[in-house]
Amino acid sequence: MDIVGLFVTVFARPDLWAGTLRFAAPLTLAALGGVISERSGVVNIAMEGMMLVGAFFAVLVAAATHDIVLATLASVACGGLIATVHGIASIHLRANQIVSGMAINLLALGLTSFLMFRFYATSGTPSDIPALPDLKLPVIYGIPFVGAVIGDQNIVVWLSILAVPITWWFLFRTRLGLRIRAVGEHPRAADTLGVSVFEIRYLCVILSGLLSGLGGAYLSLSVAHSFSDNMTSGAGFIALAAMIFGKWHPVGAFLACLLFGFGQSLGINLQGTGFPDQLVAATPYVLTIVALAGFVGRAVAPAADGIPYEVGE
Amino acid sequence: MSVATVPLEAPRGRLLRFVAAVVTPILAIVLAILVGGLVVLASGSNPIAAYQQMLVGAVGSPFDISETLISSIPLILAAYAVSFAFRCGLFNIGAEGQLYMGAIASTWVATTLPNWPGLPLILLCIVAAMLAGGAWAGIAGWLKAKTGAHEVITTMMLSYVAIDISHWLLEAGPMTPANAFGTPESGPIPPQAAFPVILPSWILPNARLNASLFLTILAGLVFAWILWRTPLGYEIRAVGFNAKAAAYGGINVARRLVIAMVIAGAFAGLAGMVPVWVQHRLYDSFSPGYGYEAIAVALVGKNSAIGIFLAGLLYGAMIHGAVAMQANANISGFLVQILQALVLFFVGAEMLIRWILRRGGLRALMEAAA
Repeated sequence: MDIVGLFVTVFARPDLWAGTLRFAAPLTLAALGGVISERSGVVNIAMEGMMLVGAFFAVLVAAATHDIVLATLASVACGGLIATVHGIASIHLRANQIVSGMAINLLALGLTSFLMFRFYATSGTPSDIPALPDLKLPVIYGIPFVGAVIGDQNIVVWLSILAVPITWWFLFRTRLGLRIRAVGEHPRAADTLGVSVFEIRYLCVILSGLLSGLGGAYLSLSVAHSFSDNMTSGAGFIALAAMIFGKWHPVGAFLACLLFGFGQSLGINLQGTGFPDQLVAATPYVLTIVALAGFVGRAVAPAADGIPYEVGE
Repeated sequence: MSVATVPLEAPRGRLLRFVAAVVTPILAIVLAILVGGLVVLASGSNPIAAYQQMLVGAVGSPFDISETLISSIPLILAAYAVSFAFRCGLFNIGAEGQLYMGAIASTWVATTLPNWPGLPLILLCIVAAMLAGGAWAGIAGWLKAKTGAHEVITTMMLSYVAIDISHWLLEAGPMTPANAFGTPESGPIPPQAAFPVILPSWILPNARLNASLFLTILAGLVFAWILWRTPLGYEIRAVGFNAKAAAYGGINVARRLVIAMVIAGAFAGLAGMVPVWVQHRLYDSFSPGYGYEAIAVALVGKNSAIGIFLAGLLYGAMIHGAVAMQANANISGFLVQILQALVLFFVGAEMLIRWILRRGGLRALMEAAA
């Protein structure tokens, strides 16, 4: 089969496009969290760790209670909790936020794997845990192709897509969003006007933890149906790249996540076709570099991103 | 996204600053051990036993010391790669990929020239590793200089590409010898190209520690020499300190960015060659994440040659010590990642350390540690 024919066949597969959405969903949640956090001036490279914590505690609580709602809430809460640690370090202790973020990533890897060994060392996580449900859409499911792409997607996929306009509206159309951006661009000015820089920044860092935690729960409960050491395997870093690629904008970040999701899905759909899938797997990364150098150009972070704020001098 | 900027150092209070520079990480380590102990205790195990096993496992015998050093060397070299870029204001998050390119290039040279005599072959492999790592990082530097593409994305993307290339080379065949029975691995490194083992077997049987230790020390000296003793190093630090001011002062910022990344990548390339030369083959997914842990080592080592060397030894000791701890105390070896994270966290949260020093009546030290 010639290469063009191969790609035409693969591109006509609904699996490719459904997979794109599935892979993009956790990235989107984490990347949106990153956008919110960095718009308030707190650099967040800790999405990887927050996702991992969410993934683990989702499984732990799901196994203990068999309650999907509790499991999801636990993952979101734990994501928020570890984000608070990052918040304390970067807001109150004025630590270097990249250092703190790396520490959170390492801590999450260590802690989840440590507890994994403690609770499930020999057996792996139990297989009878509940999953986040897929939504079978009544009419759409019957439409050829479209039905196979979006007719039976996971609830988190829809939540992640819904979160994009909500985040945009929140950041650019609400009073709180304006304050967040003010704090990220010029905290001194915002402070003078009576906006609490610390409160806003804590709120945003914790929000990013909640979103990443949910992304992690999706990975463990609905994609893998289990937890394994370091199972996020870089998804949080891809989300970080998507955030910068998308120029700290919710829509841009989402489009970048779709690109990465597409790359992952393409790699899987080309498996077994004789095409070297290791090299296909590399294409979204190459595309990102080309796009970044060619079209996107200089990405400018919020002006006060990464600079700890000191109250009153 | 801003990067840890490293101030050009002021000359006064040298002794005090030295003490402060040593006290901060030591306090951070003590705090990390305490908090890590609480984690062990909370999980229902004995922290004293855990730490004892880890210590004995890391440095309890000459053999273990040799293994600890083997674990440390790639971390130290890769941390030089992270740090050198840091000094120029660049966050090289992709040492992992540069390390893979170094491993691929040196293995390729060694396996295609199996009949060359030892010394020239070793030297050629070293050069190949450094060139490949340097070129790979140089792409990110060049893109940054030409188009402003953020190096956090480009170095990370280049990492994934490099790792995928290595998977393809080893899994799809181009680097795998026909008699490998489908295992994704390269052919063997010819024996005459191996680094000489430092301790002969009649002193310490099976010790694997080799001359790459001296190479690492040399790399540290070169790192410090370039940064602190050459005009290039001064300019690189000036760009890292304030790129606009450096440009105003007549420094070609774009060119310094590229050069800094190439030199950084060369360190990482070398870091990739060393584990291959210890295992005598390039295996699929050979790196357990040296390039990522190196970021932590660079940060704990405060971007100085000696600091990184010591931090790398500490991290290497924890990694090797954890093997014995997990086997003998039945506690997950991932305690190491928790400890490494806590050290990093406390090094980062200097305000906490300064608060402790102030409470301890060490105000002068506290101010010097700022």
